[in-house]
Amino acid sequence: MTDNKISFKLENKLFELKRLYRQMESFAKQHRLFPKDIFKINLCIEEHFTNIISHGYTDCETHWIDVTLAVENGNFMVRMEDDGIPFNPTKIVAPDFHCSLEERKIGGLGVFLTRHFMDTMAYQRRDNKNILVMTKKIK
Amino acid sequence: MQIKEEKQNEVHIFKLVGRLDSNTSPIFEEKVAAAIAKGAIRMVIDLENLEYLSSAGLRVILKTTKELKRLEGKLVLCSMAEYVREVFEISGFDTFLPITAGRDDALKKF
Repeated sequence: MTDNKISFKLENKLFELKRLYRQMESFAKQHRLFPKDIFKINLCIEEHFTNIISHGYTDCETHWIDVTLAVENGNFMVRMEDDGIPFNPTKIVAPDFHCSLEERKIGGLGVFLTRHFMDTMAYQRRDNKNILVMTKKIK
Repeated sequence: MQIKEEKQNEVHIFKLVGRLDSNTSPIFEEKVAAAIAKGAIRMVIDLENLEYLSSAGLRVILKTTKELKRLEGKLVLCSMAEYVREVFEISGFDTFLPITAGRDDALKKF
């Protein structure tokens, strides 16, 4: 029997990416996702996770990011909750693609890719926490 | 991630195996910097066995492109999977980076 939902916590450390991938891939394979969809969803989770841990905290304490993955009605859902400073990725401006190579910057590219690969992205600030819900059609 | 390096006709070739993510990109960045410090200005990155990349990997590739251009060298990417290519295209990187189907075609770009 396969579960339609899993939840886990990640510490605000880059090494947690490995655990994130393992969780994501085993869950996605149980639900027979295409490898290209696993890749895209994985990328979106990594981009948000690294934004949280790079910009979300001003102290040196350990913080936990709650991640929930679910499959429902042909949609893959990712929910991420953190207690960092307010950060709404749906409001980030896309990078300028028309400038010269020398002026090309990487900032904002992760969020831009996420918007491209996901079908929906919704942000909420509640009880001093950032909550991001993203969905992608998988069938 | 595994990074294999070889030289062919004055072209420095990196073959990336595994995942180029926020964790592994700094390692690759160091290897590229070391190669440039030793005088490599013509580079190929072979992505045949790259399973995954995120914007952290794109950042290193952008930085390398700029650096090699400044040194009047060149970077060519080859052999990437279709879904990896899609990331390069969406990001607009295919407008300034030559991307070839195979390694032989990449070497012909120099």
